[in-house]
Amino acid sequence: MSRRSRAAVARSAGGDRTLTTVLGLVLVAAAVLALLVGYGVFGQFRAQRPLIDPILVQWVADHGAATRWIALGIGLVLFVVGLWWTLRSLRPEPRPDVSLSEVPGERLTVEHAAICEAVRHDAESIEGVSRARVRLVGTPMRPALRIALTMVEGSDVRDVWAELDGRVLARAREAFSVSALPTAVRLELDATSAPTQARVE
Amino acid sequence: MRLLLRVLAPLLGLLLAVVGLAIVVETVTLWVAPGSSPLVVPWPVWQTAAEGLTWQSGAVRGAAVAVGVVGLLVLVLGLVARRHDVYLADPVPEVTVTTSPRSLARTVGHEVRSHADVVSASVVASAKKITVKASTLDPAEAVREDVRARVDAMLVRLPLARRPRVSVSVTTTKGVK
Repeated sequence: MSRRSRAAVARSAGGDRTLTTVLGLVLVAAAVLALLVGYGVFGQFRAQRPLIDPILVQWVADHGAATRWIALGIGLVLFVVGLWWTLRSLRPEPRPDVSLSEVPGERLTVEHAAICEAVRHDAESIEGVSRARVRLVGTPMRPALRIALTMVEGSDVRDVWAELDGRVLARAREAFSVSALPTAVRLELDATSAPTQARVE
Repeated sequence: MRLLLRVLAPLLGLLLAVVGLAIVVETVTLWVAPGSSPLVVPWPVWQTAAEGLTWQSGAVRGAAVAVGVVGLLVLVLGLVARRHDVYLADPVPEVTVTTSPRSLARTVGHEVRSHADVVSASVVASAKKITVKASTLDPAEAVREDVRARVDAMLVRLPLARRPRVSVSVTTTKGVK
């Protein structure tokens, strides 16, 4: 299992999870701190002080300009982080076209849909596979395949693998003229009870 | 949980952005044109309400508890929204093969139900553990051994990256055979 084939298994939710976890931690820490102050853990005197502390009010009154810049800074950071996070998690996962040659005058790019259709057609012809979904992930220079295979009940996983690697992926590697193509295969085992009839289009 | 994360993550981001924008707008308004402040957020009202409150006030404690609960939910969401893929052994180095726990459970379920003496069965599967509950009209112990042997044989055929623990429980139900 290579790092790139493993990364192609599914779209990563790592960024969203990290940011969500950090936000949760900040909220919990703030709440716990406020409760601790209120229950006098940092001294009974501090617990009885007003929420809008006169010392703070006095400091703000004395340092008007500094307070403005601090508030502006906090506001801008929150705005930029929030906007970046939103756009990042709403952006669809890219479907890269594959560039086979970058030499000027001989630039050659293969469209995402063309590759996927070809691989899907090959994969669906494997004995024991009733349906295949294929897409490319990654970047045009470093693409990886993601294949979801729906398998007929009772079909042998090893046979399907052998044919997938020996025929389907071998052809894809040949087409891309690469020695290795990172691929993530997702198997839906025993999903259909019998081989599906040939579709009449 | 992953679906909830997909929905909530952009909303949380948007919330942060809106709070940040509100702070910037109000600060600039107060600075440039104090006469028209507050522009959008009625913060002087909040300030008046917060005056006279101490850290011991019930309102402050209530707000802290509320923030803490929301924070805990967000934290748990971030921690548990992981993938539960079941990995299969790699056929070749550049290929990763996975299946879903549901799919694994379905396969095991087919195998168990194909036993002639099993009346009904339910299977829960993860990458680490497969739990089979079956019922039969025959003495439970013999059927249990058979079912376990079948599941083990099936797991030998299915090249999983790590072999899950298998727990089988069989109960005898009343009925006519």
